[in-house]
Amino acid sequence: MQQILTLQAKEGMVLAKDVMTAENRVLCGKGTPLTASLIERFLKMDIVQVTVEGHPISSPGEKTLPEELHDIEARFSEVQKVPPLVYLMKRIMKNLAESRGQ
Amino acid sequence: MEDAKRQEFRNALRQTKNLPTLPGIVSKLTKMADDPDTTTEQMGKVIGQDYILAAKLLKLVNSAFYGFPQRISSISSAIILLGFNVVKSLIISASIFEVMEDQDVELWQHSLGCAVVCNVIATRMGVKDPEEVSTAGLIHDIGKIAIKMELPSEYEMITRLVRERKMSMRAAEMEVLGLDHAEAGGWLAKGWNLPKKLLEPVSCHHDPRLASTEQLNSAIIHFSDIVIRGLGYGHAGDNKVPMLSKRAWELLNFRPADIDEILEQVEEKLWDVKGFSLEIKAEETSSTVG
Repeated sequence: MQQILTLQAKEGMVLAKDVMTAENRVLCGKGTPLTASLIERFLKMDIVQVTVEGHPISSPGEKTLPEELHDIEARFSEVQKVPPLVYLMKRIMKNLAESRGQ
Repeated sequence: MEDAKRQEFRNALRQTKNLPTLPGIVSKLTKMADDPDTTTEQMGKVIGQDYILAAKLLKLVNSAFYGFPQRISSISSAIILLGFNVVKSLIISASIFEVMEDQDVELWQHSLGCAVVCNVIATRMGVKDPEEVSTAGLIHDIGKIAIKMELPSEYEMITRLVRERKMSMRAAEMEVLGLDHAEAGGWLAKGWNLPKKLLEPVSCHHDPRLASTEQLNSAIIHFSDIVIRGLGYGHAGDNKVPMLSKRAWELLNFRPADIDEILEQVEEKLWDVKGFSLEIKAEETSSTVG
């Protein structure tokens, strides 16, 4: 999932998190596909950010998935002989790949 | 390392001339809590006198960081709903937040993330008052701030070793100072009169065996530090996942399925606390301007 500006939202993107009002009430539940009128409504209500499924917007300077995976491996480089930590590393990598829609 | 030199560093870190002190309100409240005649109203009143602290406390209580299910709008309801110990940890968190956020944003992010993992694990393991464990997670690296502020030229040497020789921060501290940030953090916590439940996890987060009574809490901080470094959230001086303590792993006894669930909950929560700050002043200014 990815947190994006409502201004970047496009029709067809799917909400990965509930959109809440300022009073903490659910305005639109997760799983809802965005429509032009929904996006317009969010903007009118000053909801500046939404969280959507996948990773539809790539920002400048953002690392690619292989770069990120390489970084994770580097962070775990000194504990490659510790089975629970190797499991943790693989799981973090898998989750990241999934969150990028792969 | 010469003993005299080591002693000199010890003294500098023990005196902590440059570090802000915890607000006097913390020790005042601790005294009040020990007195069985103290009422919730009296305590709420003392906290309420410091309105900035009270506002920060409520912001913290209602943030995704602690994630209490219902919205809490007053200090006295916070005390009734959460209990005094929790509120006291929250006050300590709110005060230390400021020190850390000002000094080193990346380290603060790491600490905040670590506290989130602590909360998930402590809740999962059914630890009483998981918020205390979160607070310990939040302050576990406070010794790094103490070294940075009290011994700036040695700190410079430490960061150079980390950069040039790819050492871990802790190994570099041992080489330059003959002591590490966990030990320094323990002294600081002691100077602030923090309870053992917070002090031991700070001083023993790299080796929970050293803790006399708080081995489990120390083990939770130890593993949370590993998880948050693995996720690459924030920056704690070096980017290496530290070695897993055997004792910590015995105490936690997680199966792969536990790790999967912990990661899932942590990632969800981290998403919510991203960018979370207690900087109330900035918000006030921007809302007056806007």
